[in-house]
Amino acid sequence: MVAMVSAGALRPARETRLLLIKWIVALLVPLAVFTFVWSGEAIVNNVLLGILSPANTNYNMPTLIQLAIFIVVFYAVVLALAGYLVAIDTGRRTMLEVWIDILVFVLIPLLLVIQLGLIIGLAVSAVIWAIFFFARTQIRKVRHYTPPQPLENLQVFDAEQQKALMQRAVAGGFWFGVVFAVVSLVVDLIFFFSGSLPTILLVWVVIRTILLPVAGYFLGQLSGRLALRRTLAANEKKSNGNNPGSDGGVIDKQHQLELLSTSRAREEAKDLVPNDLPLRSAGAQRFFLILLVAFLLFYPVLDPLLFGFGTDGRLAGYGDAGYYVILALGLNIVVGFAGLLDLGYVAFFAIGAYVWGMLASTQFTAVTSLPINLSLISWLFWPMLIVAALIAALWGIILGAPTLRLRGDYLAIVTLGFGEIVPVVFLEMDKYTNGANGIVGVQSPSFPGVQWSIITPAPYYYLILALIGLTILANVRLRDSRLGRAWIAIREDEIAASSSGVNLVRTKLFAFAAGAFFSGLAGMYHAAKLGGVSPDNFSFGDSVIYLAMVVIGGIGNIPGVIVGALVVYAINQFILAQLDTLAADPTNVLHAVYAVITQVIPGFTFGNIRNLIFGVILILVMIFRPEGLIPSARRRRELRHGNDEEVEVGALDVVPTAPGFESEVHVE
Amino acid sequence: MSLFIQELIVGLATGAIYALIALGYTMVYGIIELINFAHGDIFMIGTFVAISIMGLMGITANSHPTGLTLVSVLLVSCLGAMLVCAILGVVMERIAYRPLRNAPRLAPLISAIGVSLVLEDIGKLWKGINFVSFPQIFPQINYDIGSVNVTSVNILVIVVSVLLMLGLQWLVTRTRVGRAMRAVAQDREAAALMGVNVDRIIAITFFIGAGLAGAAGFIYGLQYGSSIFYIGFQLGLIAFTAAVLGGIGNIVGAMLGGILIGIIDALASLIPDSNAGGIGLPHGGAAWHEAIIFAILILILVFRPSGLLGQQTPEKV
Repeated sequence: MVAMVSAGALRPARETRLLLIKWIVALLVPLAVFTFVWSGEAIVNNVLLGILSPANTNYNMPTLIQLAIFIVVFYAVVLALAGYLVAIDTGRRTMLEVWIDILVFVLIPLLLVIQLGLIIGLAVSAVIWAIFFFARTQIRKVRHYTPPQPLENLQVFDAEQQKALMQRAVAGGFWFGVVFAVVSLVVDLIFFFSGSLPTILLVWVVIRTILLPVAGYFLGQLSGRLALRRTLAANEKKSNGNNPGSDGGVIDKQHQLELLSTSRAREEAKDLVPNDLPLRSAGAQRFFLILLVAFLLFYPVLDPLLFGFGTDGRLAGYGDAGYYVILALGLNIVVGFAGLLDLGYVAFFAIGAYVWGMLASTQFTAVTSLPINLSLISWLFWPMLIVAALIAALWGIILGAPTLRLRGDYLAIVTLGFGEIVPVVFLEMDKYTNGANGIVGVQSPSFPGVQWSIITPAPYYYLILALIGLTILANVRLRDSRLGRAWIAIREDEIAASSSGVNLVRTKLFAFAAGAFFSGLAGMYHAAKLGGVSPDNFSFGDSVIYLAMVVIGGIGNIPGVIVGALVVYAINQFILAQLDTLAADPTNVLHAVYAVITQVIPGFTFGNIRNLIFGVILILVMIFRPEGLIPSARRRRELRHGNDEEVEVGALDVVPTAPGFESEVHVE
Repeated sequence: MSLFIQELIVGLATGAIYALIALGYTMVYGIIELINFAHGDIFMIGTFVAISIMGLMGITANSHPTGLTLVSVLLVSCLGAMLVCAILGVVMERIAYRPLRNAPRLAPLISAIGVSLVLEDIGKLWKGINFVSFPQIFPQINYDIGSVNVTSVNILVIVVSVLLMLGLQWLVTRTRVGRAMRAVAQDREAAALMGVNVDRIIAITFFIGAGLAGAAGFIYGLQYGSSIFYIGFQLGLIAFTAAVLGGIGNIVGAMLGGILIGIIDALASLIPDSNAGGIGLPHGGAAWHEAIIFAILILILVFRPSGLLGQQTPEKV
């Protein structure tokens, strides 16, 4: 493959040159903003100073290493992305469009966040996005917009085309590297002559100017290979799909299944990236995923830079958001996959929390009068994670058993009842659970060389990240398993599923058990992180919030549910909880609003109307997006299908349940 | 034994209130298959409206009107609470539920939760975060029958509830609107084809259901003497349970369920405290009353999956 790329590849043809300009500008502008406006440059310089002369930096060694890895990964990914995008671009979006998109979706939020702070910045960006979408639709309507034809040289994939694609990828990576290096060089020289750059770093500037294009060349090659594999694979499938009878008319079942699952994977993929083709391809998604994972992994390093150290940091808050994600994903199994409405989901969360709370605190000795060493018990956290989750799952089965004959909302009320009984039991059995006072002094987990405390939220962040990762993995595997398909079958039609051989009893019980399992997991994490358990945290209201997360995100769709959980958490904790603080600040817009309201309603605080605002948001989201923010592909298809039917009025004449019967009547 | 009968009568009065709220749940469920979580909060607003109307009529916690004044205050505050709640119910249906008539099944449920949160905070803004006392204007007379004590308020509560329930039963079974409601509940499309204005009938259902919740708010105030912004949620939950117990969608079932739950609720407080020694539950039955109600509900549903009076409909294929 390398041999195919001659040196001439770096002198691009006219069409490729346009592509290069398009993507280099699109990627370079946000990167430059990150580097020069945001603290990117300062971080890089500090890291280098730390490596070259450790005394001159204000970072300690572990932070330094983490930051260095982050920076290398980040810039390498961007370089590779440049090559990939140039190679894979089908030309369906014009240069201007891409730039405008980058401007609106990356640059404006970045600048706003820097200027106004994270929350307000994002909120203002959201408003701008809404206006942008509206304006774009209007303009397109007025101008009778049709997307441009795909580039012609992308239709066929013979050896020549492959070579061209490869060349474009390499050119993309290389030229991006060159341009970025030159821009950085110029800026650094200005800094140097104005005296704000240490001379020692000049060596690095020179090295970098050479290094970036070289790195761009090789990363471009790598991404080109990725792009090639994607496009070639797609092309092969297409030609196979066109001649199914190539092996003697026998339809290859295996192949059909593969096609089916790829088409389904693509549908699901659209949920993640509703955008233009190059960004929607599986390769680009892998990039996004890597970027996202890298970002999440390095986030604890960035958090102090964004929000400040100590109590200003947001990490602890994200640790809490994490268990909401697990809860929402678990509930999604019961409600989203199996279609069983569960209004008492909080019960399993309580069970998980109390399992760890009662074992890893003085409560254990108080109840059993066995003397135990608490610091040893805290090592049991890891096996107990599974045990607590399994205990919760067992209760899921115990609850599921009596509900098997029930249907629809009768089932919902039984789960609701269970959700009400469990907290009462924990509250009133105070001999064992310490009743309304709850359990305090619950041990945090133990791990060699890790400090678990409130002032160091990073271990909890990584723990919950790992748990979320496992939960997502388990959810995806479950959904695609035989069991998952059985769940979806009984959700769609219980009788049809049962007559097709789905064991209703087993399938439903497994759904309850799987949902309860993750809830127990989250509960145990919650108890360990909080260092205590209180019976107040497990009310019906909490169950309802978890349900709202699932429905708002997009019921049955894993990315949707994650987004739903994060959105609901962010609205409650980061926006509504801070309204009063914002209103107290005289420079804020809210201050004036607040002053007007206190004239009308004395003693008014935003804290008092938190639920009101949240309720209005719930109603509005449901009215404008009843299928959730990111609906599953299946549901979206259903809705689209429904619209088609409305157009064909004639279709409504046929009774959908008994078409044969209807036609017989007509014949007679 | 006399204690038992005593609690039975208290339970009957509480149950009557549950039944009135449960009717709203069951009517709405019967007609659009929605668990209207905001219904309990409408009941809460009802108690507040009644308190405010009494305040407007110059009644304070210490005033004891008699004769015609008493009757007019009672009537005006009861009807006022009913009317305000009924209008609120219709507005709520128009804003939060009607746009979602054809949406996925859980969407209206979530918007109902949203409405519930909104109403709760409106109650909080209106009357503050503390208990609001409800003027005890109805003369408290104790009748001793044997060793059982019955108060005049108990009797009033039961009489008013029974009258309202009879009125509703008449409306649903004997009038044109009632027939239209039953038709829409049975098959919305067919009813529309027969010339029933479905939207209007659903609005009327919300009007009546919310009105009954307003009346329940009024008699709750008479019975218990205070109200607070969050009572609606808890009481609504129990009333909803009552509706399910009786067979949701069934009006007589909701009445029966409400009264049964009221009685269970009252009898639960007879269970002794096991912490004091002997059999019973820790802290006595009263602390466990919710758990007992739900446990009995689950038990009943295991044996009668569609509630006490619900029809065991074969599933549609």
